[in-house]
Amino acid sequence: MNFELLIDILIATVPLMLIFATLFAFTTWLERKALARIQNRIGPNKVGIPCTRISLFGLGQPAADGIKMLFKEDIVPRGADRLFHLLAPILALIPAMLVLCFLPLDFPWVNEDSVKAYLLDGAVIFFFAITGLNTLAVFMAGWASRNKYSLLGGMRAVAQMVSYEIPLVLSAVIVVMMVGSLNAAVIADAQTGFNWFVFSPWGFAAFIIFFIAALAETNRSPFDLPEAESEIIAGYFTEYSGFKFALFFLGEYIAMFAISGLAVTLFLGGGDGPGVTLDQGLPTEAFPGLAVIWFLMKIFALIAMMIWLRGTLPRLRVDQLMGFAWKFMLPLSILNILVAGFAWHAQQQDSKTITVITWVISLAILYGTASGLNQLNRASARPRKYKYAE
Amino acid sequence: MSILGGGIFKGMAVTLRNFVSSYFSKERLTTNDYSWRPDGALPQSIADYPKEEGEQLRDTTTVTNYSRNFPMLLHDGGEPMDTVRCVACQICERECPPQCIYIEKDYDENGKYIKRPAIFDIDVSVCMSCQICVEVCPFDAIVMNSQFELSTPNRFGGLLVRRDDLLKSNDYYHQIHPEEAAARDQKMAAEKAAKAAKKKAAGEKAKAAAEKKAAEAAKAETKEGAE
Repeated sequence: MNFELLIDILIATVPLMLIFATLFAFTTWLERKALARIQNRIGPNKVGIPCTRISLFGLGQPAADGIKMLFKEDIVPRGADRLFHLLAPILALIPAMLVLCFLPLDFPWVNEDSVKAYLLDGAVIFFFAITGLNTLAVFMAGWASRNKYSLLGGMRAVAQMVSYEIPLVLSAVIVVMMVGSLNAAVIADAQTGFNWFVFSPWGFAAFIIFFIAALAETNRSPFDLPEAESEIIAGYFTEYSGFKFALFFLGEYIAMFAISGLAVTLFLGGGDGPGVTLDQGLPTEAFPGLAVIWFLMKIFALIAMMIWLRGTLPRLRVDQLMGFAWKFMLPLSILNILVAGFAWHAQQQDSKTITVITWVISLAILYGTASGLNQLNRASARPRKYKYAE
Repeated sequence: MSILGGGIFKGMAVTLRNFVSSYFSKERLTTNDYSWRPDGALPQSIADYPKEEGEQLRDTTTVTNYSRNFPMLLHDGGEPMDTVRCVACQICERECPPQCIYIEKDYDENGKYIKRPAIFDIDVSVCMSCQICVEVCPFDAIVMNSQFELSTPNRFGGLLVRRDDLLKSNDYYHQIHPEEAAARDQKMAAEKAAKAAKKKAAGEKAKAAAEKKAAEAAKAETKEGAE
């Protein structure tokens, strides 16, 4: 066994897990605070440092929640499949943790020549393949609980995740087409110098589609039908308590970070930002770790956006959810691939006029298609006729 | 034609406005409404509830005027069981949707029903604070309390409130819900006056009837005597 390799792997992976677990704790606090403020409440503000009266804006709340979760009774329903009931939360967490290593986070403490998972050719494919496992975990939880609400939640989750996976992947295809690589680091480096994909019509459309699909993939509001409290109690984790529930919760948030990280890599320039310059075709940082800071800040901006949307939008109906995926997002993302293909050919001409014309035309096509699809999908607005009422 | 997705941005602007201005205007915070207080001052004891300990928390006047949580039984002062308004009619027990009230009537040693409850239990772990018992009570005996410190170490017995703990004086009621208590007293006084008037009228009527009867009887007697 190569001992040095093992050490290298630990140095690369353990901080990654610790950083994102800490971010998870902070995000739960942030989400509760932000939602409370949106609803004109104060939010958690009591828990701080134990045994003192220092409350630190309630920053101790995640720790208190964690301790509570650890000590809670673990209840398994009598009719449940014990093995799969145990396996489901673990399977929900592992893929989410696993895909974190495909984010091009170049930590300064990692050896230059050590193994880096994000340098894998095909990291993007791997990312989607592994996140797909999450669906299985959710359905496993719903099935193993032997509870109709859990099963309903699991089935909703499967339908939703399978539907939204398609626009998610199709919008990522545009970036892969433009860069010509599936390597996460190459994709991120190609955008250095504020050459981000989100700053082009096709890239912007793809980013919006990607973000909406990511919301649905991670079961975030307004697509939180699998865990709709007012309809099916808590969905697939109705029968989970204590630490298993905490694992689900952790997995969900880590998946949020992971998919935000992928969005940052694909569309928002990865670790690019002020202080990161292009030097002989390679990005160079002003000081080591700056790119990582930019990357994490961009992830946080996306998470803040998700929280804001959660505070704003009500939950969709099941048919609206499915209609949105198949009748709006799917045609739009397919058209976007065509537009991006033409745009790539136009870019090869290396002429300012052609670029401008491409931009205008593709903007018009994308916006026109989007509004056209919106009009087509609109429910018929005829005044309803009542036969017996009135 | 409106911008695609414009409704979402409009909604997000609303939530952003709420988010930002909740930091600047205290009036927005729904949990801090003390506008009912005459001086408009914020009682610090509730704003910092778990931190501030001591006697002032037991003082239920620090709770807002509109706070209602669980029912209590009223008595008119003095020895609680002598002046208790409840007559153990069990209407509230029957009306209670989650069936959290249990009542047994009180009997004296001869087995005669005396109008008061021997047992009156409310399981506050079941009670849903719907106030239906208050609405149906014909004797104004059960009203809502606003005491909130109810945590107990005992899961079952601790949350079953017994008769003697439910009994509270009318003065206490005036203290926690002044307007409601005054209105209820007025209503009760009016009812009592109406009842008294009715009784008086009925008494007079009976008296008149008796007089008439007596007069008739006397008449009949004289008639008989004449014959």
